[in-house]
Amino acid sequence: MSDSDSHIVSSFDRDLEALQAHLLRMGGMVEAALVTAAKALEAQDLPAADTVITGDKAVDALEEFIQTEAASLIARRAPTASDLRLVLAVMRAAHSLERVGDYAKNVAKRTRVMGRSAPVDGHAGSIRRMSALVAKMLEDAQLALVRKDAALAAAVRARDVEIDQMYNTLFRSLFTYMMESAGSIGPSMHLHFIAKNIERAGDHATTIAEQAIYLATGSRPSEERVKGDSTSATV
Amino acid sequence: MNDMTHKGLDLATQTAKISASGVQVHYGTNHALKDVDVTILDRTVTAFIGPSGCGKSTFLRCLNRMNDTVASCRVSGQILLEGEDIYDRRVDPVQLRAKVGMVFQKPNPFPKSIYDNVAYGPKIHGMTRNKAELDAIVEASLRKAALWNEVKDRLDATGTGLSGGQQQRLCIARAIATSPEVLLMDEPCSALDPIATAQVEELIDELRHQYSVVIVTHSMQQAARVSQKTAFFHLGNLVEFGETGAIFTNPKDTRTEAYITGRIG
Repeated sequence: MSDSDSHIVSSFDRDLEALQAHLLRMGGMVEAALVTAAKALEAQDLPAADTVITGDKAVDALEEFIQTEAASLIARRAPTASDLRLVLAVMRAAHSLERVGDYAKNVAKRTRVMGRSAPVDGHAGSIRRMSALVAKMLEDAQLALVRKDAALAAAVRARDVEIDQMYNTLFRSLFTYMMESAGSIGPSMHLHFIAKNIERAGDHATTIAEQAIYLATGSRPSEERVKGDSTSATV
Repeated sequence: MNDMTHKGLDLATQTAKISASGVQVHYGTNHALKDVDVTILDRTVTAFIGPSGCGKSTFLRCLNRMNDTVASCRVSGQILLEGEDIYDRRVDPVQLRAKVGMVFQKPNPFPKSIYDNVAYGPKIHGMTRNKAELDAIVEASLRKAALWNEVKDRLDATGTGLSGGQQQRLCIARAIATSPEVLLMDEPCSALDPIATAQVEELIDELRHQYSVVIVTHSMQQAARVSQKTAFFHLGNLVEFGETGAIFTNPKDTRTEAYITGRIG
């Protein structure tokens, strides 16, 4: 009698499961891209950066496929209640993942144009750790979605503050570099955009977590999320 | 669809047309309906959904005392139409059914002319003094049922000669000819093709500007399309009653969820 029971029409269950499986596959690709891009930055591994850049095409294609499948499922099955919320949540999550894929690609592109320099060596490690945290948030947000686990989703949402704080720290540090030496402005700006991209990827993980909460409870989280990014008021 | 503010027909401003409380129905030893409380709003389409045998049609038939004709049927509890108990001994069921019209699953026009089908109710209730008044009621009813343009040149033709969708609209015209306050529809589209179904659904949307409409349907998509309020019945209980958009996106009861998502029959 609960919503975890199977549909009378079993092919409906298979359609919904396939949709979620595609989303998880896409999520795996995007998490890997983000982590690989940050590692490539730290190691100045240009071939690795290239795989992230070329790999984004597959992410985009998978997003397109998920959106088409979801639209088809709506047209054929007319899902209602938690089924409808699941399809809507998957569509929105796929869109978020596609954006994260673009950010990873952008990190890789910037890695290609940056040489090894003082600000790069000083910050790439922080950026790698930040990326790993965001990748874990993305993974947990997707898990929360397919398990309809509102508690896990709320925990993911809370973790975004940490990402915002890491971004703040990087921002201030890079700002100091730029003030001290005009020569570091080029690489520092690139690094700042990279940090900003990863911080934005964290916001998308939060968005996916919010979709999971909507799916599990039927309503969006009400209380305003704590924002840890204060740089908009810094400069 | 479920546009609550459409043409000012805001749900919040609608008054109660029918108030049912503690309604129980037994067919012999079978307890078909268990303690149902529901308020049907004026100028609102209320859909009753639920699997076969859940009590939705039984409850619909209580609303115009159709169950009186079933010998083994016992109805208890209270059903008020505009504050008056319809099961009061002084209430004439025939008069009641003029106020609470009904349309059935299968179109069932009388084997008479189109004109006579619509004129029948006003005639037996003595609603008109002369032919001109009756003509006016027939035309107005056929217009409201969106059938006038299709039949105005052949009012003397037999009603049973119309297509299925036209016959159903003729039955709706017949039901509204007595100026009812409530229109009950028991699966009005289940014998119709998709185009005739769409025409009847369009008509239901028009009718709610004037009447309180209650529709029993097995098509959940139809309930979602035409109604503003939905009641889900299961095993004789009214499980959930609420705004249609909420029922279909975020039902509160797991039984409602299981039924509308296709997990229980």
